[in-house]
Amino acid sequence: MDIELVEISDFLAEYHPFDLLPEEVLRTLPASMQASYARRGMVILEPETDCAFLHVVRSGAVEAHSREGHLLARLGEGEAFGSQALIGDGKAINRITAIEDTLLYLLPKPQFDRLRRDFPQFSYFFAPPGAERLRGAHAHGRTADEQLKLMAQRLGDLMERAEPVVIGLDDSIQAAAARMRDENVSCLPVCDSDRLVGIITDRDLRNRVVAGGVDYATPVRRMMTSDPVTLDADDLAFDALMTMSRRNISHLPIMSGGRLAGVITNTNLVRRQTLSAVYMVGDIHQRTTFDGLAGVVSQIPHLLVYLVDAGATAHNIGHIITSIADAATQRLLKLAEEELGPPPVPYAWMASGSQARHEQTGVSDQDNCLILDDSFDAAAHGDYFTSLARYVNDGLHACGYVYCPGDMMASTPKWRQPLAQWRRYFSKWIDQPEPKALMLSCIFFDMRPVWGEKALFTDLQGLILDKAQKNQLFLSHMVANALTHSPPIGFFRGFVLIRGGEHDNEFDLKHAGVVPVVDIARINALEEGLRAVNTHDRLNAERRKGSLSTSGARDLLESYEFIAITRLRHQAEQIRNGEKPNNFMDPNALSRFERDHLRDAFQVVKTIQSSMANAYHVTM
Amino acid sequence: MMGFFRTWDVRREWLARKAPEGGVRTFYRTPYPWPEDDYREIEYVAVDLETTGLNSVEHEIISIGWVLIRDQRLDFSVMGHQLVRPFGELTEESAVIHRITHDELVAAPPLRDGLERLLPVLAGRVMVAHHARIEWRFLNAACRKVYRLPFEVPTVDTLLLEKRLLRARDQEITKGALRLDAVRQAYNLPRYRAHNALVDAIACGELFIAQAQHRCGAKGRPLRELTI
Repeated sequence: MDIELVEISDFLAEYHPFDLLPEEVLRTLPASMQASYARRGMVILEPETDCAFLHVVRSGAVEAHSREGHLLARLGEGEAFGSQALIGDGKAINRITAIEDTLLYLLPKPQFDRLRRDFPQFSYFFAPPGAERLRGAHAHGRTADEQLKLMAQRLGDLMERAEPVVIGLDDSIQAAAARMRDENVSCLPVCDSDRLVGIITDRDLRNRVVAGGVDYATPVRRMMTSDPVTLDADDLAFDALMTMSRRNISHLPIMSGGRLAGVITNTNLVRRQTLSAVYMVGDIHQRTTFDGLAGVVSQIPHLLVYLVDAGATAHNIGHIITSIADAATQRLLKLAEEELGPPPVPYAWMASGSQARHEQTGVSDQDNCLILDDSFDAAAHGDYFTSLARYVNDGLHACGYVYCPGDMMASTPKWRQPLAQWRRYFSKWIDQPEPKALMLSCIFFDMRPVWGEKALFTDLQGLILDKAQKNQLFLSHMVANALTHSPPIGFFRGFVLIRGGEHDNEFDLKHAGVVPVVDIARINALEEGLRAVNTHDRLNAERRKGSLSTSGARDLLESYEFIAITRLRHQAEQIRNGEKPNNFMDPNALSRFERDHLRDAFQVVKTIQSSMANAYHVTM
Repeated sequence: MMGFFRTWDVRREWLARKAPEGGVRTFYRTPYPWPEDDYREIEYVAVDLETTGLNSVEHEIISIGWVLIRDQRLDFSVMGHQLVRPFGELTEESAVIHRITHDELVAAPPLRDGLERLLPVLAGRVMVAHHARIEWRFLNAACRKVYRLPFEVPTVDTLLLEKRLLRARDQEITKGALRLDAVRQAYNLPRYRAHNALVDAIACGELFIAQAQHRCGAKGRPLRELTI
């Protein structure tokens, strides 16, 4: 029968692994499903009894107990059980009991088997190691996988409507309410011709209009919230969650290229946010002292171990760990502004290096700088920003983000300058490249604003990309610099290990593994004028632009992920053993498979390095 | 009791003889479920109608939604959603309420086709609806118009079940408390955003299996305790 049950397919689409299925499959899936109900306390599956369905919790919650009576997991909305029975002999393994009144959607075994056969990503989710992983994650609440995936998703991809539903400034309150009803939305962005000027929510209608006894003919402009907080379609769902919880708002207009692209509400995000990283960020924004902040940040090693165990990718882990550094930075700036008063001129607090790239792996050194508005007057405003930078750098140091050994920090006067000066710096670096200066300033080619007036950076980045693209000499200097780090692999594909010293017979996964890829991605991004800063994003953008071939980009991305996750696993292992994490690894600690794979990954990086050397006539 | 139901079966046989060939004859030829049977072993069809108004004499059916319930599970592989073209003029407001456009209705098949799809599904099964009196009245009027026969089917009314339950608990019934959405909430059933005849039939079917379980637990009870 060709009927679509949008309610059910929309529900499934929100949850892993159903979100991995193509849309047309999801659309027709409900017509093969069933629904059942279990009252609180009812046993849904008993060990050794027949189980013919994959059960998905639609509302309510269930508990899974082992045959011995141990609590294995508590499953809520969107989570599934019964897969082990379906993959095995059709007999349930655990006892499943409803702990709330529960509505279940049931996917019959033949359809489940077909999906597993046709969609490897769906099948992988239910494969035994996956199940093992999930059970581990369940001990912490909900499935970590689903949340990690969500957090690294672009807001633009979460938009439910092709066109946002909006209302005009001069429309009446009543018209707004009617539109909300007709379109089944809980808020409306208010637009003046094409420009977003405000937002009106169902809460406003209740609190401001009905409770205030306001005339329903009143224009929307008088009841709306003006200039609402917005995020960009390229921002992550994780950013949206944090913005909402920090500002206690439930609706965020999302912009794309300066135009309104849609609205994200907390209902479609919040129910999936239970992961500790989100709590840590929320916690950071509650703290008022350095000690308090340090207490939260000191949890990062545990978070790292947890994320590695949960099977998160290095890419995801980088984003999550960095979001904590971002939150600490933002909190410190807020506290500094509270103490020092509002800034006399606009500024942008810039993260550089791995924080800018969203690639922090643990608590690392701090790298940052300040771009001040050109209206900055050293005599009048100098003290303010000296104090601000000092406060934040000290605070970060207290949190464990120790002072940068090269003083690449906002408290260094040289790196706390008006925009015009930054333009001169970059012009000099690019137009008159000197190897030594470039090696030091390289870190500033990865920059990201974390607080303040982002437009200051947008301007600067425009100049950098424009100049870099045209300057072959600059690019070849960058290439020469990049080639100083190369994968630890010899002529005959053997590992080249460090000889002597503290790390005898080990290799450096950071400088010999991760850094070369980061460098390749940066140079290509500068060459192509790409604004992306994250290595993963840069490589993807380069693939789309064609500066890297599709297969080359894919190989490089896979190699990069493998090297990076190997490094993170190594660090997680050290943390678990109570050691201080580092980047040095003994190849014998790897399995044969991992060793071969790592060797292949290094080989890919090395090949791309040599082709880059050729293109820029640089000798390796 | 037995005699009463025997009468119904006799009457059904008689209606079957009078019925024209097609869905309606299939429907009346198939025996009704036995009222003493365990309710869990019986099959049900949850039905919802959208109409141009509330009066079955003046107003007409514009869409029918249904879903099968078997083993106390809704089976979405046996469900249907059929728009039907009304005879009379369409009023503005009814189309607005149901979000069915005028053009969709003009293109829809006549009422007869709708009944021909629904009735064979209902054969030998119990109809479930929320405030079932409305569904019955409209289907009865429709069957009389199309086949010149009455519509007779064993029925479970989820609204009535809820009312009985609240009365048994001596709970006061507040205004709006018996609306489908409100009752569903009491059973921790999700809120559906969309409303059309099929979604509402599913909503009603889910409510029925929830009510049955709350009322009877895992035990078997005779069907007659649940029907009107």
